Amino acid sequence: MEIIEKKADSFVILNLKGRLDTTNYGELEKKILELLEKKENNIIIDCEKLDYISSSGLRILLMGLKKFKANKGKFVLCNLQENIKEIFEISGFSSIFDIYESQNEALKA
Amino acid sequence: MNKKDISIENNISELNKLQLEINKISKEWNLSPKISFNLNLAIEEIVTNIIFYGFDDDLKHIINIKLFLEHNKLKIQIIDEGMEFNPLEKETPEHIDKPLEERDIGGLGIYFVKNLMDRIEFKRDKNKNILTLIKKIN
Repeated sequence: MEIIEKKADSFVILNLKGRLDTTNYGELEKKILELLEKKENNIIIDCEKLDYISSSGLRILLMGLKKFKANKGKFVLCNLQENIKEIFEISGFSSIFDIYESQNEALKA
Repeated sequence: MNKKDISIENNISELNKLQLEINKISKEWNLSPKISFNLNLAIEEIVTNIIFYGFDDDLKHIINIKLFLEHNKLKIQIIDEGMEFNPLEKETPEHIDKPLEERDIGGLGIYFVKNLMDRIEFKRDKNKNILTLIKKIN
């Protein structure tokens, strides 16, 4: 997995590319904790190029959501591929995450 | 009938090799991206469980993954010599409908497998766990 970070308005955008699974979820965990440390408040996880996620990956997204919500911040997702959308629906995650169709929509969140 | 065998050690770094093999087989068998995704996910969840919880020693163990393509179905067999574990006995996680604060994620992997596959069978045979997953394909 590749994580590309950029800044837009009050958001930090993390573009994820490739696979988020048991072998590499620690990289995203580290990045999220680092942004918390830097007192960033609003995060967009852009999944346009994320092809695959397993329960290990979902665990980290859930951790991020909980931590940012606890700080009254935003932790939103956008551009989910169809297969990943299905996983979010099966797990019930669709109803607890704010998920947007595009990065532009997410920026207005 | 087409048949493929993959063997990996009980080490998380082996998942990379596993994933490459599955993608290669998916291509060779012309599986749709969706079926390939679900196949990757089901196998990762089961194998991760085996690696994390299956053994109480530090020894090297082999996990066998056999794939069969027959007519309109895909059969996956995952065989390990770890402690007895029947995922079918694992209940659906309670937290699926719970609000965020109460959510934990235990059991979600197995829940995915049950949802994405059409049939699951478990057998304990000669100290081995044999888990068979069936996925219908068109």
